[in-house]
Formats: sequence, C-alpha cells, structure tokens
Amino acid sequence: MRIPHIILVPNMSKLEKTQSGRKLLYGLTAIFDSPEKLVHAAETVVKEGYKDYDAYSPYPIHGLDTAMKLKRSMIGVVTLVVGLTGGTLLVLFTWWTNSIDYPLFIGGKPLFSWPSYVPLTFEMTVLFGAVSTVTALLVVWLGLPRNSHPLQDTEFMKKVSDDKFGLAIEAKDANFDERQTKYLLEKLGAVEVDPVYYEARELTLKETVLDPKFIGAIVVVAVAVSGATYFGFNKMLLMRPWSSLNEQAKVLPETKSEFYPDGFAMRPPVKGTVARGEMPYRYASNIPGAEKYMKNPILPTKRVMLVGQRDFNIYCSPCHGYFAEGDSRLQGQFPVPPSLHIDSLVTAPDGLYYEVITNGFQGVMPSYARQIPRDERWAIIWYIRALQKAQNPGEVAEAK
Amino acid sequence: MSTQQVSTDKLRNLPESYGKIGWTLLIAGVVLTLLSFAVNSKHASFGLIMTLTFVATIGIGGLFWVGVEYVSSAVWSTALRRPFEFIAGVIPFLIILALPLLFRMKTVFEWTHLSYFKDDPSMLVKAPYLNVTFFVVRTIFVFAIWWLFYYLIVKNSRVQDTTKDQNLTTKNVRLSAGFMPVFAITLTIFSIDWLMSLTPSWFSTIFGVYVFSGAVLSSMAFGTLVIVLLNEKDRFPVKLTPDHYYNLGAFLFAFVVFWAYIGFSQFMLQWYGNLREETLYYIPRMHGSWAVVSIALALVEFLIPFFLLITKPAKMDPKRLVFVSIWLLASHALDIYWMVMPVYNPDKAVFGVSEVAFLVLSVGMIMAVFAYKAKANNMVPIGDPKLQRGLEFHL
Amino acid sequence: MSEVSYGEVIDYTKAPPLVEGNPTLSKIDESIAKPMEKFPSRKYFMALSVTLTMLLIGAVALGYTFYYGIGMWGNNIPVGWAFDITNFVFWIGIGHAGTLISAVLFLFRQRWRTGIARFAEAMTIFAVMCAGLFPLIHLGRPWYAAFVFPLPTQHGVWINWNSPLIWDVFAVSTYFTVSLMFWYIGLIPDLATMRDRTTNKFKKMIYSVLSMGWRFSNKHWQHYEKVYVILAGLATPLVLSVHSIVSFDFAVSILPGWHTTIFPPYFVAGAIFSGFGMVMTALIIVRKVFNLEYIITADHLDKMAKVTLVVSMMVAYAYVLEPFIAWYSGDPVDWFLVLMRATGHYAFGFWVMVSCNVFIPQLLWFRKIRRNIGVLFVISLLINVGMWLERYIIIVTSLYRDFLPSSWHIYVPTLTDFGILIGSFGLFFTLVLLFARTLPVISMSEVKGVTEGAHPSHHLGAEHE
Repeated sequence: MRIPHIILVPNMSKLEKTQSGRKLLYGLTAIFDSPEKLVHAAETVVKEGYKDYDAYSPYPIHGLDTAMKLKRSMIGVVTLVVGLTGGTLLVLFTWWTNSIDYPLFIGGKPLFSWPSYVPLTFEMTVLFGAVSTVTALLVVWLGLPRNSHPLQDTEFMKKVSDDKFGLAIEAKDANFDERQTKYLLEKLGAVEVDPVYYEARELTLKETVLDPKFIGAIVVVAVAVSGATYFGFNKMLLMRPWSSLNEQAKVLPETKSEFYPDGFAMRPPVKGTVARGEMPYRYASNIPGAEKYMKNPILPTKRVMLVGQRDFNIYCSPCHGYFAEGDSRLQGQFPVPPSLHIDSLVTAPDGLYYEVITNGFQGVMPSYARQIPRDERWAIIWYIRALQKAQNPGEVAEAK
Repeated sequence: MSTQQVSTDKLRNLPESYGKIGWTLLIAGVVLTLLSFAVNSKHASFGLIMTLTFVATIGIGGLFWVGVEYVSSAVWSTALRRPFEFIAGVIPFLIILALPLLFRMKTVFEWTHLSYFKDDPSMLVKAPYLNVTFFVVRTIFVFAIWWLFYYLIVKNSRVQDTTKDQNLTTKNVRLSAGFMPVFAITLTIFSIDWLMSLTPSWFSTIFGVYVFSGAVLSSMAFGTLVIVLLNEKDRFPVKLTPDHYYNLGAFLFAFVVFWAYIGFSQFMLQWYGNLREETLYYIPRMHGSWAVVSIALALVEFLIPFFLLITKPAKMDPKRLVFVSIWLLASHALDIYWMVMPVYNPDKAVFGVSEVAFLVLSVGMIMAVFAYKAKANNMVPIGDPKLQRGLEFHL
Repeated sequence: MSEVSYGEVIDYTKAPPLVEGNPTLSKIDESIAKPMEKFPSRKYFMALSVTLTMLLIGAVALGYTFYYGIGMWGNNIPVGWAFDITNFVFWIGIGHAGTLISAVLFLFRQRWRTGIARFAEAMTIFAVMCAGLFPLIHLGRPWYAAFVFPLPTQHGVWINWNSPLIWDVFAVSTYFTVSLMFWYIGLIPDLATMRDRTTNKFKKMIYSVLSMGWRFSNKHWQHYEKVYVILAGLATPLVLSVHSIVSFDFAVSILPGWHTTIFPPYFVAGAIFSGFGMVMTALIIVRKVFNLEYIITADHLDKMAKVTLVVSMMVAYAYVLEPFIAWYSGDPVDWFLVLMRATGHYAFGFWVMVSCNVFIPQLLWFRKIRRNIGVLFVISLLINVGMWLERYIIIVTSLYRDFLPSSWHIYVPTLTDFGILIGSFGLFFTLVLLFARTLPVISMSEVKGVTEGAHPSHHLGAEHE
C-alpha cells in the first residue's frame, strides 16, 4: 500500500518550469567529506531561510539537530500513553475475567489479588508501549516503507549510506533557485553538487490497494490460511499421533466390555460392602412388615419440601396426578393408581411408602430406586404427607 | 577545543550558612534525643536505631558510589566524586550512634531475652548467631571495615590533589574492587543485625539487597541535592552541564525503580507463599494505620518520583532535581520508619519526640560532617587524571 | 613518583580507542559486509554441518517425544520438571546478556558496546526462540499451546492469572517481541547500506524491502535515536522482569530451595552471568573466523570479563546467603535441603556448579588472564557448564526429595533428554551461523559513529544556541 505523501504534491507551477523532458527536478544534492562541514552547511542553509532541505549521514551526528534547529522529538508521548493504556487494560481484564465473568478462588487468595497482576501489568505496559512506538516511528513519523523516494537508488544515496555526508535542498522550497542554490552549496565546501530528477508519472501513481493483483494475492492468502486452519483444527488434530490422547484402553459409555463375560465394564460392588456416602436400606428387601418400623429420617424443612415437590411432580405425578388424586395424565396407557387420600393410605406408615417407591408395587408400579436417591424418596414422602394434610386437615391431625 | 578550567577560588566554597544549619540541627538533634530518652526510653531506643540506619545507609552509600566510579572507570562523575566522599565522612562516627544502643540491647531486641527462645525452642538454632557478644563483635567489625576502606580510598584521593600521581587512581581502582564484595557482605550483616533481627523469627534473603537499594538511592539523592544547589548558585568549582544533571537524574530514576522492584519482590513472594514465619513481618504493616504508611511508602518512594523523573527534560531540570532529591531523602526516612517502628508498636503508627529527634539528628549529623569535610578538602579532585575528560562529558 | 610500582602505567587522561587502527568509514563497511558478500569458506560449511547434525539429533528426539509422549523423558513423580525447564531457564538466561549489552550499556553510554551489541541482540532472539521451545514441548501436545492465552472458550473459564507460568507466557512473548523490534530497528540503517552496496538484483530486492526505504535523513535520525533510547529504556526493566518472573515460577511455591525472596535478583544476575559466558564464547569464535579483531578488540573482551566477574560475585552472594538464611530461619526442612544439595545424590553437580560459577571466574581478577583469549575462552565455556548445572541443581534437588520420604525418587535423564538439549544447541548455532552470513553482525552505523573524528566538537553546535 502506498501512503500518499505531501512531499510528492509540491508547488506544481515551480516544478513545471524546471521540467526537462519527462523528468521533474527533485532538488540539488551536495556531498561533503567531513561531518564538520555538514554541520556548518546545515547551519548556513537554515540561516539562508531554506525549509525543505535535509541532511544525510551514515550515522547520526551530534550537534546536527541543533544546527538544523529541529524540534525535540515528541514520540515518547506515544510510548507513555499507549503503554499506560496497555497496563490499564490488563488490570481491567484480569479483574473482569477473574472477579466478574467467572469468579475463581485460587490458593485462598482474594478474587482480585493485585500483587499477582503487577508483573503482568508491567509486561503489557512495555509491550503496548514498544509496539506502538516502533509502529508510530516507522509509519507515522518516518513515512516508511517507501522505496520510491526520488533519492533512492541515486549515487548520492550510495555515498551517504557508506562514508560521505550529504545535504539535499528540494526544488519545492520557496528560496530554491537552481543556480544560486548550487553556488551556495559549492561555497560551503561541497565536493559534488548534483541535481536529482524523478519521473513525472510518479506524481500520478494511483493507489495500489485496488490493484487486481493485490486483491488476488489477498484472496489466495485468505483461502490458504482459512483452509489450513480448518484442516488443522478439524482434521489433523483427529489423526495420529495428535489424537493419541483419545486412544486409551478404556471403555467409553454405551460400549460393550470385551474383558468381562457379562459385558459390563463397571463392576458391581463387593458383597457386604457399602460405598462411601451411601446408607443402605435398613432391612433387606421384601421382609414383610419391615415398613412398620421405618421412620422418616429427615426433617420437613422448606428445602426438603421443595425437593419433594419437584421430584413428586417429575416422577409420581404422571400417574398419581399433581395432587395425588390418582388422576393419571397418561390417557389410560398405564393402570390408573388409587388416590393417595383414601383412609388406608393416609394412615399407612411412612415405611410403606418408602418400600413401594424403592421396590415397586405388585408389578404395577416399577421401582424408582435407580432414579430417586434415598433422601429424595423421604422428601417425596414428606410432600405426600403435606398433600394429604391439605385434603383432610382434621383426619391427618388425628392420625398423628 | 576549549578546555574547561577549574576555578581554584571556588574549591572551598560551601556557604557558611550550610555549616551553621548543620551544626544547629546536630546540637538540636542531640538535645532532642536526650529528651526523647527522658520521655520514653524504649521508644527513643527505636528512634536511635532509625537514626543509625539512616546515617549509616547514606554514608556507606556515598562510599559505594565513590567505589563504583573507580571500578567502572567512569569519567562523567569524576568532578562530582568529592561530595560523595564527604557524605561517606559520617562512617567513622557511626559507632557513636551505635554505642548507646549496644548498652540497651535488651530494650529493643527480643532475642536478647531468654524467654524468646523458651517460647519457641525451634528458634534456638539461631542462638549461635543472635547473641549479644557476637552481635557487638560484628557491629564493631562492620564499622571498622567501612572506616578502613573509607580512610584508604579517601586518603589516596586527597593526596592526588597535590601529587597528581596517576598510580593513585590505579591503587584506588584496586581498593574499590576489593571493597565491593566486602561492602555487599558487611551491609548485609548490618541489615540483618540491626533491622531484620528486630523481628527475630522473620527472615528474607533479599533483605540486604533491599537495604542496599535504599542506601544507594538516598546517598545519590543527597549528593545530587548538594551538587545541583552549589552549581546553580555558581559555587561549584567547575561548570556542570545539563548532561551531568541528566546522569544524576537518570541514576535517581533507575534506583527508584530498583528499590520498588526489590521491595515488591520481597512482598509478593512472602504474600504468595503465605507462610506464618514470613507473613509475620507484613501482617502488622498491612493493618490499621500501618497500612496507610505502607501505601504511602509505595507512593512516596516509587510512584511519585517515578513520574516526576520520567522525561528527559525533567532529569535535566535543576529545580526538579532539587525537589526530587529532598523528596527521596524524606521517603528514605519513611522507609526506615516503616522497617523499624512497627516492631515498637505493631498496632498503630506512632509519632512522637523520638521521630522528631531521628529526623533532626540524622540531617544535622550528615550536614555537619559534610560541612566539616568540605572545609578541609577541595570540592573537586583537581589532581584526578580523569577530571578533564569528565568535564568534557556529553551524552 | 609513587613508591609503589605497578609495572604498567595506565594513562587515565585519555579514553582508550573503541575501534583499533582508526579505519576509514568505508573500510568498516567493507569488513563487516565481507562475510555476506563472498562465498563462504569451507570452514563455514564444516561448522554448519556440525550444527545441522546437532539440530537433526534434536529433531529426532522431538519426534520421539511427540509420537510416544513425554514418557520418553526421565521425568517422574516427584521430579516433574527436569531437563525441559532447566533448558528453558538456561536459554532465557543466555538471552539476557544480549539485552543487557544492547540496552543497559547503551543507557550507561558505554560506547564500547557498539562492536558487540548487534551480535548479542541476535543471540538474545535465537536464545529466546530456543527457550520458548521447551515449555511448549513440555506440554507434550504443543498444538494445544494456544490455551495458555486468555481466549474465550466454551467452558467459560479463563486462564489462572495467579499462576506464574501464565506470567511467563506474557513475559517471554513480550520479551521476544521487544527484542526483535529493538534488533530490527537497529538493523534498518545497515540494511539500507547493504541495499546500496549490493550488485545482486535478488539481494537488492530483499534488502530494499527489509530496509523499508531508509534514507539516512537527519530528520529521520532524530526520531530514530529517540526511539532507540525509549526502547532501551523499556528493554532494561523488561529484562529484569523476565528473569524475575522466571524465578517466580519457583519462588512463589513453598518448596524448600525454591521459596526464597532473593530469587528474582539472583536469577537476573545468573542470567546475565551465563549470557556473558555465551556471548564471549561466540564472539571469540566470530572475531577469529571473520577477522574482526580490530572491531571486537581485546579491550571489549577485557571489559566483558570484568562484567562477568561482577555478576559472578553477585551469584556468589546468593550462594552464600541462601544457606545462611536457610539455617538462620530455623526451618529444619530448608536446612535439610541445603545439606542434600551439598552432599546428596547430586553433590558432584553442585560442586562443579560452585567451582564453575564462583571459584574459576575469580581468575578474572587478573588482567593477564582477561587479556589471554585462550584462557578466556575456556573460562567462558566453563561458565556455560556451571550455569546450566545451576538450573539443573535448583530444579532437580528441590524436587527429588519430596516432603514424604516415601515419595523420594532419583531423576536420571534419558537419551531423548540429551537429544533435545543437543538439538537446542544445534538450533541456536545454526541460526547464529546463518545470521552471520546474511546480516551485518556488527552495527555499521554505530561503529562509524564511534570512530575518531566521527563527530564535530560539541562546542561547535553550542555556539549557535
């Protein structure tokens, strides 16, 4: 991309006068053989009132800036402002991610543990500061990249890039006069004074961004990068060896174990053992009458009632109805259970309910032991009791 | 090329008033210190430790800068070396400050009591190091070593004024090279003994470096203050350029950052590790009014001077340099206050006659010694072979 | 006359010349550009074949690692970090000397740095590249490395900002970026010089693109110099922070031997120490091979030796203080670890490390040794060995004695471990050799700026203020 330069849109009327053929005069270049002479020349040129001129040297020369009366470079402001912005952004980002968006306690430290963020803040300040400064220097301050400057590829440039010191006065300067300026430069001790020309068409060069070749190149790059990215993330990572982490000797869900004859990968617990956190049913199943001795072990707190309500509505209500009145919503596809508000069930002990939920009832109601954890069964029972009490407040009170 | 001449009439040109202020403050400081002992002798003992630390760090920091100048064969600072030699002149008097404390160790050092080891028998392992005899021996050894190097280096420098013998520079380069490791070890011993052992169960390997950073920063601040003031009032024997100022400012800036870096490293690692024996140093300093002092310290010794000195013109501006130098000396006093006083009263920040005595006595002592030395010696090492190159220095 | 005679009288009134023999400016261009312009010698190709072989060994070892997993290494529980992190810290450390020489010495106006700065900066970049490899391959599946960056994911969880390993990611990538830019900014004028020198069309195109059309204008130099100072000012605290953060990887844990507050400055000193060792090693070879003795003078090496001695003393300070505080703390576990280091399974490595890092550098007190290039070369190699061992000792000895004696485990490196280490050296030196062929190893514009008579006397400019 070509950045338009003010330097290339000079005072046209003046340029046309000095035009020779298709070439335009850029200006006069002078070569000096010592830095002292260059500094002296620069001072004189400033005194003579020239503005569009520049000194050229293979290395920066002390005192030349003062001689040319250049203003102090203010590029440091970019570093400071952008750098501090970078640091601030990091602080805000760490605060938002770790304290707001996904609060995460680490090592018992506060959510916003600033001492941990100081190193990062510093790094981001430096990164933002340095990248912005360099970019600003090259693009904004120096107008680079630019290989089309009239001085490029001239004998003058070859000399100042090696061991000579040069001064160039541009033709667009108000004081420029080819003969007088040349005389001045020679008087200042220039070893050589040469005019530099550039082709007129350089003035009318169009923006190259819309060049079909450029657009074509961008499209090709875009396709290649997106294709490679797609292939990398969606295909390559699923191949060997990248996928080797997935290829483990383990049984995945819904697959058959080749190892055990019964085809289950998960083994039943050893007889007589109890898993951690599990309390077995106090009486081995199907002991008749055991239910009489079982008491509801949990208290009917609000939370328990809510759990009971939730589970009842999920598991029980399809057949028993939301109010345990036996009004099945299943349109007769299953046997319709009796209402739970009949006398024999209202007075039945909690243990009976528990027994029925756990083991099912006479082949009509299935066991819910797998779906409903033990404590939630008891919560359901509390809820059923509440429903019963709501229907027959007096009787339940008497039954107690 | 014009060579700069040393104005010989200005070689001993320190204003009379400077010495007078110094002596007045010194006498006032002594009176105040005696008064503070009468008011509250425990508090006053801690105050005297602060005075000792302040004077010792500035003094030994001055000698460090002199040594660095020789070892690195720097030329820009040759003309500025003498003020740092004068600052180091307090070294022989350190023992005077330490003596009253050596007789009153039981009031400040918990480990001098048998009960400390009884309460925590695992600390008994420290007893071979933390005992009164060894402590006294170490203190005298450290001060003697400092005095020895001070005497040798400064003597050579002074003799060179008349003989102009280049061999003396070579001699001092060697002495300074030898001084550097000795300095590192002795300053560490000093800081472990007089500051770290105030909290005897606490330990930190970086502590010596922390005290070092404060020492070089404060002595540079004092040197900068004197040099810039004298040069601005046209009393300095040579004309210093803004480039000299820039270097002084840059060193201040660099060591402000260095101090913050070391202080933060120590804090962050102990905060992160969260071990009982390490956090016991920071817990009192992070609660109550001490938390205010801690935050103030970070602002005063790092953030504010950092932004005051960040640009190049700021480092060259004499007014800014004078202001920041005074600021940094005050913040060094605050730093020492923060290190010492939470041991005396962990619950809340205290300020009394002892603190006033600390400030007045420290400043008075340094100024008085400086005035005394400046009267007896040339303000610029006129015999130094590097002097002319130093005056021609430019960035 | 003084009564003491020192054999050699040094004249302090004159600054020693920075470039010997006062060559003309174009002579400087010529000798610096020479390695790039003529067809390389057989020696060069021999060296390249050696380094490429090393690189190949590394590639094979890496292939094994990626295919079979990091079980190919000797790492075990509790020694979960071993060669990988040792190499990482080692290479990061090597990089630090480069920044120190180019940025810190620049800020101190040490003009002798000009001859070696470019080379040291290049070493920084290559060393950081080598270093960056190791955490990546330690992941075992480096293609998942993007997860160390704070990217929004389906899980909703962000990276752990409290982890020093994340700080490392930020620090090392910042360090690499800033070093690269610093290096490139310095290269631009030299690339422009090469652009104007070369006659080869293809080379000219490349140099033109890389030099961006730099044209030595003083209005550009002014900003350029300012930016150089700013970058140096940013790089100096950056270099301190990077190795400090590397040290935090260890020091924020509560492992004995790792959790100690002196680690940040101690690691920085160690990094500079090892880096200077490596820069000296490489420079002594380069100045010999490319005949640059008059730009990289014996004075340079002498000064570098002095800096090396100073940082060696800083490292020694930490070596002394760590055991002392371990004892002073009254913590039996800390003290046990000190004993384990000095007398345990890795005691031999420990004492080799102490000898290489503290005892042998003491020879640099003597001017004769600093001026003897052969001896200096051997010392610099030993420093490299010592500093590699230091990281190894710090990492392995703290881990192999876990808190429970039942978990104790000796670590033994495997061939794959060594293969990767050799490979990293191969990568480093291959890059150095390629660099020496393709880019100016010494900054032409800076060396020109420090020759005698390069600047008009500064009073000249001042008259017109």
